Amino acid sequence: MKKLNRRNFMKLAAGSSCAMAAGLGLNQKALAGSIKLQEGGRDFSPTTKKELQAIPTACWQCVTRDAMIGYVEDGRVVKLEGHPDSIRTLGKLCAKGQAGINHVYFPDRILYPMLRAGKRGEHKWKRISWDEALDLMASKLKPLLYAGTPELFMYQYGRHKGSQSSIMHDFMDAFGSQTIGTHTSVCEGPKWVGQESLWGGMYDNWDYDHTDFVVNFGSNQFETHTNHIPTSQRLIRAMVERNVPLYTFDVRLSNTAAKSTEWIPINVGMDGLVMLSMVNVIMNEGIFRKDHLKYMRVSPDYHATESEKIAAIKEHVAKFTPEYAAKESGVPAEKIRQIARGYAKAKSACLIGYRGTVMHYHGADQERAAMLLSAITNNLDRKGGRIMGVGAGWKHPHSPKAKIQKGLDIVNGFPGEAAFPTHQCSQQNLPMIKDGQNGRPKVYWSSCNNQAFINGNNIEAEAVLKDESLIPFYVNTNIVYDESSQYADLILPDVTYLERWDYEDMVSPTGVAEYYIRQPLIKPLGEARDQGEVFSGLAKRLGIKLAYTTKEEYVRQSCEMTPGVKEAGGFEYMKKHGVWHDKDAKPNHGFYEAKVDVSGDGIILDEKTGVYWNYKKAGVTEAEARSKGFLGVEGAKNAYVAQDIEGTPRKAYPPNTSFVKSGLLDFYSDNFASKGFPAFPTYTPVPEHQKMGKDDLHLTTYKVAVHTHSRTAHCKWLSEIKHDNPAWINSKTAAERGIKEGDRIKVASDLGEITTTAHVTEGIIPGIIAISHHFGRQQSGIYGSGKSSPTPGGAAADPDANNKWWDKHGIHPNSIIPNSSDPISGGQRWMDTVVRVVKA
Amino acid sequence: MSDKKAPDVSRRKFLTDAGVAAVGAAAAATPGVSLQAAESKKAPRWAMVMDLRRCIGCRACTVACKSENRVSLGRFRAVIQEKTTGTFPNTKKAFLPLMCNHCEGNKKDGVPPCVKACPEYPGARAKFKTADGKTIRYRSGATYKRPDGLILIDKEKCIGCGKCIDACPYGVRSFDPFVKAGGDPSKQAADKCDMCAHRVDNGVEPSCVNTCQGRARIFGDLNDPDSQVSKLVKEHNLATPENVLLHEKDTNPHVFYIDPDNLLKTLYTQRKKGKLDHFVDQIV
Amino acid sequence: METDWKALADSAKSRSDIYGLLSAVFREEPTETLIRQMKGPQLLGAFTSLGVKLGERFYTDPESEVVEQLAIEYSRLFIGPGPHISPHESIFIDAEHGEAGLWGVQTVEVKKFIETTGLDYDSGFCGVPDHVSVELEFMQKLSEWEADKWLQEDRKSAEYCLTVQRMFLEKHLLCWLARFCDEVMDQAQLPFYRAIADLTKTYMEYERESIAPPVSA
Repeated sequence: MKKLNRRNFMKLAAGSSCAMAAGLGLNQKALAGSIKLQEGGRDFSPTTKKELQAIPTACWQCVTRDAMIGYVEDGRVVKLEGHPDSIRTLGKLCAKGQAGINHVYFPDRILYPMLRAGKRGEHKWKRISWDEALDLMASKLKPLLYAGTPELFMYQYGRHKGSQSSIMHDFMDAFGSQTIGTHTSVCEGPKWVGQESLWGGMYDNWDYDHTDFVVNFGSNQFETHTNHIPTSQRLIRAMVERNVPLYTFDVRLSNTAAKSTEWIPINVGMDGLVMLSMVNVIMNEGIFRKDHLKYMRVSPDYHATESEKIAAIKEHVAKFTPEYAAKESGVPAEKIRQIARGYAKAKSACLIGYRGTVMHYHGADQERAAMLLSAITNNLDRKGGRIMGVGAGWKHPHSPKAKIQKGLDIVNGFPGEAAFPTHQCSQQNLPMIKDGQNGRPKVYWSSCNNQAFINGNNIEAEAVLKDESLIPFYVNTNIVYDESSQYADLILPDVTYLERWDYEDMVSPTGVAEYYIRQPLIKPLGEARDQGEVFSGLAKRLGIKLAYTTKEEYVRQSCEMTPGVKEAGGFEYMKKHGVWHDKDAKPNHGFYEAKVDVSGDGIILDEKTGVYWNYKKAGVTEAEARSKGFLGVEGAKNAYVAQDIEGTPRKAYPPNTSFVKSGLLDFYSDNFASKGFPAFPTYTPVPEHQKMGKDDLHLTTYKVAVHTHSRTAHCKWLSEIKHDNPAWINSKTAAERGIKEGDRIKVASDLGEITTTAHVTEGIIPGIIAISHHFGRQQSGIYGSGKSSPTPGGAAADPDANNKWWDKHGIHPNSIIPNSSDPISGGQRWMDTVVRVVKA
Repeated sequence: MSDKKAPDVSRRKFLTDAGVAAVGAAAAATPGVSLQAAESKKAPRWAMVMDLRRCIGCRACTVACKSENRVSLGRFRAVIQEKTTGTFPNTKKAFLPLMCNHCEGNKKDGVPPCVKACPEYPGARAKFKTADGKTIRYRSGATYKRPDGLILIDKEKCIGCGKCIDACPYGVRSFDPFVKAGGDPSKQAADKCDMCAHRVDNGVEPSCVNTCQGRARIFGDLNDPDSQVSKLVKEHNLATPENVLLHEKDTNPHVFYIDPDNLLKTLYTQRKKGKLDHFVDQIV
Repeated sequence: METDWKALADSAKSRSDIYGLLSAVFREEPTETLIRQMKGPQLLGAFTSLGVKLGERFYTDPESEVVEQLAIEYSRLFIGPGPHISPHESIFIDAEHGEAGLWGVQTVEVKKFIETTGLDYDSGFCGVPDHVSVELEFMQKLSEWEADKWLQEDRKSAEYCLTVQRMFLEKHLLCWLARFCDEVMDQAQLPFYRAIADLTKTYMEYERESIAPPVSA
């Protein structure tokens, strides 16, 4: 265009003036108030004093959710540190947590509701207002309500905890849809299922502050864990300060294995077998403890004597001799004996395990073996042992529930796939939608869940999300454009965890519950909005009444109605201090011993199981109760009162999950037997592993210290440290294939093939290849995917992007791992895939 | 700030320093560390003890440092080196935290090599105030040693010549792509760990120490016999050639390693001449 | 020499109006009203003589369709998801500490500058304080105030206001807006934003020249 001169300046001004006078239809003014300049020409100097604040809040980079302090300078978050008053974290925060700042100011962050403007996957978007977005969603949801088919609205979440979870369930209840998909089965589901079948709704943590001995199967405590900071710091301190030994069984020399007293390499899928052989040693050498036997059921007989129980356990594990276990697992028999003895003889001991143990065929049963090993040494919920994690018991507001409550049967796996999917079978959600036999949602809303990245066969998942005939309306709540949101019809800008309200409740390893909240450090950037407020905006349009309007209000109400927190000063106290715990509370170890009064009206003893239960509460007559028995009456487990323990009614282990059982630890499980699974913990070989050819290898995946599975790739400080995921392969296995360090290799499963780089190492067992699963991102910006933005002003406009020095971004192993479930629990079998590896 | 009790958030101090928005949590969060300078006429002598038994390679220190000091990508002020040794199944992996050693310098002149290499040193006289109000005079420079032992960089004086970067045998120094050298704005200023001086000067422990979950990093005053660092140096006999890095360079480092398994020898990779690529933090 | 207060006021008001128009164009996706105004005879004349080419379809397509086209183009250019030109000063200024992502050091500088003049950010405004349209609106407001002062024959205040405007231009707008406009011209797919960016850049040059010399008191 031409240069401006006085003449055409005047023309432009006249035109502008005319337009301005007519009004431009602007929706929004940015500036308000009036100019008050010093009218004397004094020096104009914008203030330079920095405004600083310290705000107690809570991390949410991973599920550990550490209480922390956020430091804010001039409205910008500048630093995150642990909260020194937290009894869980003791003022510590991990690498991931501290990089949370990167989420907020990531230049590619999604800040406005975006409506798809092209075809799915065409990456064309149009910003719309929140009103338009909510109107659009309401227009899709209303017909479902009117038609009495609320279940056709599916909510799929990854990590909703504390108030984020309760507020979501509250909304779904108010709407009437129980089609709610989770992600636990790709994470740790089998562990919980195994535990629920035994001690009810309790989940283990470990009392490292008092333990004398730790045996670890496949848990990478020092790098990553559901309760990482609270547990790992206590473990390393116990080791250094009290000389507590840590023995780690793992296929790979993780940082945890590296820092252990000894790393014991073990073959894939053999954790349960080695545990059972340890039971064998402990029982046969008579170094078990009898204390817990009375709470254990180890045979069909509920009334077996102590000696009968000892004999039964011995018989069950008789074939699992150390020699047999050694042959299969690769762990020397003497090593098994040595560790079994040390473990049994220690005053107290922790048996820990995680994904390495349970994300297998019959993974839930392996967890049962871990519980058995804990019980026979009396280390179950005892000081210094495998204790139950104690979390905060928040009360929260409830909205009226819809009359119609329905759910599509698409979250628990295909028919017959899993016997006890108490934590669902989420890896099959999209495949089941594709299949369509059990129906398909018309509205699919996902939040904090990158389905096209986190599941097995993620390429199929992507295809389902892309297909409008399978998912007609797809809403994705997110902060970053990722593998899933790229196919959405509507993207809603989520707040980061530094901009939101929540109450939090993650378990404490001290046995004393910690109540804590998350509060915004800054106003949400752009138009980012907390899901709680999205719910209330939708509810208004749908004519649904909710008990709150804002998330802050919801959290405030929760603080005011939760015993303890309320008396401490409620919401105002929590805003100021962030954390609260009952100073007089003591760990409730050994809660199962509590004597129970069974004199109440309607309480009878079930002769068969030894359970005291209240038949009136179960809603049956006494005659019916007696004839059908505790196990025969539907819903009787909710009327459980106590268990007869050698003549005394005690609390024992109430059946407070979907498992119907007595108050005993059900090591002999009718539930399992009735579905054709081993009633007693056993070793079941992985079918695929039995058919392996000479050149086949196992494939396992793992996490590292500086990343969560799928939500940290765009955090530059983390990706700088770890951005590539070469495949770990033992030098011997590599040599057999002519593979050298840094060689390109092809890894092929029955599902597909990837090409990656070999990391030849002595830190892994032969016969296996291990690939961490954080990388190989298609999207997530320059730091995570390396997709340099063609338009500076995306990620590349962060001047630090000019300093980005790495150009490798790894490859995603999930594309060659099929979705395949543990038939007991529905857990995704991440560690069972068989592959062939050749030089590329 | 000798108060050992974890203080209220509201009592926490905020600190700023030369444009770096440094904020600190309470030093007292780590038990046993006293940042109270010794009640003597001497300045404190700050030092760090790294307890290798306690380092689990979690990288919280690395990221805490990036965040606290806004360290650009491509360089680090604090790193963890890890190395796998041995033959399967007798394989070991160990972690070694590295940072500026805040060297005392050789016995003869007490000037560390980086300071010696700085063309702007010795510069004008400067004053340091001890806890009891006594003033100690010292020579400033673009890179200089403060009387409390911290080796600091004055980016206003720095001319970006890079001589200190070459001179450091540990290779902990680099150019900051975001800060111009005050003495020659056509160049970038040198940068490295300053032991979070902006925090320390306000009674708050360094950021990496604050975040270390294993308590592998212990910071304190060697001139105070009651400080934890003094006690550890005594208890573990750390003032030996085996417990510091590159003793043979006669730099007299003030980062001491508790190293019962003799890991320093196998773990430490010395920089190659003219290269800094050993001073990055990478997980394989 | 007699001071022509009216002429000085008019000149300031003219600048204010141009800033106002540019601010509106960058603030959000153009509305039908804005498009109608830009097609109006006055601006059409100015654009024609300046060689500002908003594209044939801008003038021929129905306004509702132009709204749709420009909404998609606006999102693609300035919002994302995916690669886009983040229209914020902090993104374009290499802040000293490598934190010039969103809400950087520069953002705070802009916010403080604006607030020091007595203005506030509207409570309904949820953008980042150094958005291009905010900086332009700020200049609009300042020059409007200046115009008022000339009308009140308050030379001291008017000239002081000019000084403040010059400071803001030098410290902020002139440091980055041209580069921003270059990016837009480079990345725009429709003529509209290419032309607007060109106009904005040209106007900034004009501003630099016309108000750069210090106004003597």
